[in-house]
Amino acid sequence: MTPEQWSIVFNALNVGFLQTLRLFFVTLIGAIPLGLLIMLARRSSFRPLSWLTQGLTWIIRGSPLMIQLLILYYGPGLAFDWHPWGGGEAGRFSAAATAFIINYAFYFAEIYRGGIASIPAGQEEAGLVLGMTRTQIFFKVKLLQMVKAILPPMSNEVITLVKDTSLSRIIALQEIIWAGQKFLKGSSGISASILPLLCTVVYYLIFNGLLTILLTRLEKQLSYFR
Amino acid sequence: MLRKVEMIMMKKWMCLILTAVLALSAVGTFAAEVDADVAYVQEKGVLVVGITDFAPMDYLDNGEWIGFDADMAKAFAASLGLKVEFIEIDWDNKLLELDNKSIDCIWNGMTLTEEIMGATSCSKPYANNAQVIVVPKDVADQYQTAEAAAELQFAVEAGSAGQSQAEAYGFSFTPVSAQTDAVMEVKAGSSDAAIIDALMAAAVVGEGTSYPDLTYTIGLNSEEYGVAFRQGSELAELLNAFFVTAWQDGTMQAIAETYGVSAAVIAQE
Repeated sequence: MTPEQWSIVFNALNVGFLQTLRLFFVTLIGAIPLGLLIMLARRSSFRPLSWLTQGLTWIIRGSPLMIQLLILYYGPGLAFDWHPWGGGEAGRFSAAATAFIINYAFYFAEIYRGGIASIPAGQEEAGLVLGMTRTQIFFKVKLLQMVKAILPPMSNEVITLVKDTSLSRIIALQEIIWAGQKFLKGSSGISASILPLLCTVVYYLIFNGLLTILLTRLEKQLSYFR
Repeated sequence: MLRKVEMIMMKKWMCLILTAVLALSAVGTFAAEVDADVAYVQEKGVLVVGITDFAPMDYLDNGEWIGFDADMAKAFAASLGLKVEFIEIDWDNKLLELDNKSIDCIWNGMTLTEEIMGATSCSKPYANNAQVIVVPKDVADQYQTAEAAAELQFAVEAGSAGQSQAEAYGFSFTPVSAQTDAVMEVKAGSSDAAIIDALMAAAVVGEGTSYPDLTYTIGLNSEEYGVAFRQGSELAELLNAFFVTAWQDGTMQAIAETYGVSAAVIAQE
């Protein structure tokens, strides 16, 4: 390929990667707090709520994210002639972000639950003896310890999320894999080249490298109890 | 004997009644002003066209979609007083996109297959296409007939018109996920030949492409391109009428000339 062609390719990949990043950050911003709510619902002493959450966890974690994307984007239109998303790129992004937030929130909730469970029951008992309410114990005693405990498994999920965003191409969201793949078929006078698709790996590696550094640093900063 | 005559009489009567009912209902729908789908699109004011990046039919030029199909779609929308919006779709999901109303038509060098015509309301064919055999240049001379090609191991896009042809001719073939993958198989030597669209072959193999040492030989069939609208939509009829006007005033020929597809375009009368 000529230098001009490479500049076309990298422009397309940059635009695609911006969409990937947008989906990544929106998913994290939505799924981190939503996961907390789901975890609280799961641990609720009100049994039906806990059962409902367990059922939903089974469905969301047990079914492919690709199918969840398809159902969320095409389902309302096909089943009820209702078109909440619209056909444009913005609508596809909203649908993809919604599916990713819900899916990741259920995974996060289970990680949070593991983090809470790792805190010795003695701390809760001590808090109760001191006259703290359960809400106070949760926010003032357990939450920060939980954050420390869950950081390594959360880092795992976050890095997986970067790559999972590529699933959204199933509803034609133009993220970086879509941007690279179109040159395989032929676009902008460049045809049948697999190199642009292979170049997307570089973007993923660099971004995940930065994330790993950031997350490791965060882990170190939070290890002040030791 | 008498019975038979009676039966024939009865059939005649039933035919008459049915015709009358049909005629009345036709008048009925006519009286009920515009078709629901036409009304839906007119209310939006935008005709949303589902495409893929597919030169010379729909492709990007300085951020704008152009091509034979894109330019015709713009002209058609303008004739109805509509704006036009092009949306890139995943070709596998084209029927889903149409039913989901995230697009209003599929207009992207689409082969009119029985599956498509059964599931949508299609326009009349506007261009010819064929499925051709792609082989390395140095052996092309040996495979100028379907009989000679029968000994080859083919790669075809799964579910494509190319696969239908491979099946029809009884070729031995491997289904792959895209037409371009089929071509890559030939280049890599994992398959002897591929079957793909003639229009695509012209763009993808030969001099000045990524596969200068490949070429295409015979066409296995002939097929036609059309535009698909939602099942029952009268937009298909409106487009047929537009094609005729555009052919008569020469717009269609001029656009075809611009994109070098004149030989493929079908006259609209």
